[in-house]
Amino acid sequence: MPDVINQQELEQKKIFLILASPATIRERNIEIIREISTLGYHTVVITTNFPYSVLSKLYAQKGVSLDRVSFIDAVTRNSIGTAENIPRVVRYINNPANLTDMGIAVTEVLKEYSGEKVCIMYDSVSTMLIYLSSANISKFIHFVTNKLRLMDISGIFLAVEKGLDPMLMMQLTTFVDTVVDTG
Amino acid sequence: MIGAGKYLYLHITRERIHNQGFFLPWELIQMEKVFDSHSCIEAGILDNALVMITVLGEKGEVIAWNHAAETITGHSRKEVIDSNTIWKELYPDREYRARITGKISDILKTNNYFENLETTIRTRSGESRIILWNTKTILVDGRKRAIAVGLDVTGEREAKTFRESVIDNAYVLITVIGPQGSILVWNKAAEMITGYTPAEVIGRRDIWKKIYPDTDYRRTVTQKISRIIAERNYFENLETTIVTKTGERRILSWNTRQIGSAGVFHEIAIGRDITEQRMAEESLVAYMTEMTMRLSQPVGIVSTTLLETAELVKAGLLTSEEMVTVLQAQARNTAQIAENIREFQTAIVEKNGSIPEAYRKFLEG
Repeated sequence: MPDVINQQELEQKKIFLILASPATIRERNIEIIREISTLGYHTVVITTNFPYSVLSKLYAQKGVSLDRVSFIDAVTRNSIGTAENIPRVVRYINNPANLTDMGIAVTEVLKEYSGEKVCIMYDSVSTMLIYLSSANISKFIHFVTNKLRLMDISGIFLAVEKGLDPMLMMQLTTFVDTVVDTG
Repeated sequence: MIGAGKYLYLHITRERIHNQGFFLPWELIQMEKVFDSHSCIEAGILDNALVMITVLGEKGEVIAWNHAAETITGHSRKEVIDSNTIWKELYPDREYRARITGKISDILKTNNYFENLETTIRTRSGESRIILWNTKTILVDGRKRAIAVGLDVTGEREAKTFRESVIDNAYVLITVIGPQGSILVWNKAAEMITGYTPAEVIGRRDIWKKIYPDTDYRRTVTQKISRIIAERNYFENLETTIVTKTGERRILSWNTRQIGSAGVFHEIAIGRDITEQRMAEESLVAYMTEMTMRLSQPVGIVSTTLLETAELVKAGLLTSEEMVTVLQAQARNTAQIAENIREFQTAIVEKNGSIPEAYRKFLEG
């Protein structure tokens, strides 16, 4: 299967919107992590669906080196209440709707990897729709993409391919450089 | 003595005054004949008239004062006869009285009568009545006498004012277009919606060019109107987009009716500003699209997550703690989805009233 992420574009610090079906979105997540890890990138995964503990197991099972991945986990504390941050491994935020905390976490985690080949992956825009309106998601993604451009860092946003509101889709398309529909 | 025909004559006259608002000269001549006979006055012909009739001497003193005059003014014949003080009673405001006197003097410089002079009198009970006066000067036994016929038009004027007020204060644009296409009526709502004042519109025909400045669009609207009018003389709920004086676009829903008779027709057009309604409908549709997405996308993800979790459990890859975390996360997600459905239902039930402001702004771009 061809690479989901174009290496040259990744080197150019481009920002990607990756579209996948609900059934394949996890698979795409793992493929992308594997691809960009192979290219020597460290990926910061913002997860709003699977908890860090489970996602890391899935990565490990698919042969992804966990040394090259760290997490911002918006699920665990929201489910079980407490969880301690593990430096350079996982940082928890209380709930996926708290965009302020998420913004702070992104800023601080990216600082930790300053100077390294780092990429951020947001999994997923679709899950965020449970808690947030298109308007707020759009604002948050605008904020994150601006930050990534200022810090000269590449970013990947995952979303379910069909059913995205045309207005939201149009806005996301404006914020990113490349849209890849993986089907 | 006066026959029954004379009574009938005065009754008919009043009916006609109601319709036309004045006496014709020949009618006054007829009255002259009636009043020629002092005995007629004594006989009570004036008392049976349905209009206020008074006969005045050269100094304005009242010689005759009919029953209708008593009824309308509240002043009895006994009080007013042989005196001219009644006019001060009827016009107590000195300034107004002077104005009326001046106006009458001006008219009498050129005519020995006046027609349709409208004045407002104060009755004995303090009420204001609007009287439409017609007079004629005649000679009785060689002496000058003025017959003044006053029609109480208070009711008519009030009804007219009320009708105008209804038209003017209606929340919809109301315009009346004359046979030559010029605008005869342009109410306050018309001004409010379009920005063009009655002074800029009434008597002119160019308002349509102003509110439909785009030639092609104007042609389309005109053709559509012509087609409908050719079929049935009126149109209903015809939607057009106008451009206001300030350049704003407004959507109007038009209804028209043809009014008139004897070959002279006017079009009355009523335009309802439905801009907000259309915007609200568009917002509602956009909101429904948004909420559909916010329901279908997450449900797909929750379903997939649970299936994947089941696979992981089957493979023995998850600890019970991890399983609890995943299941609780999905339980929270589904609870939130249920909350979103309730919000959606409320918004639909209340139409667009409860669409969150943030959505509106976002949807409005």
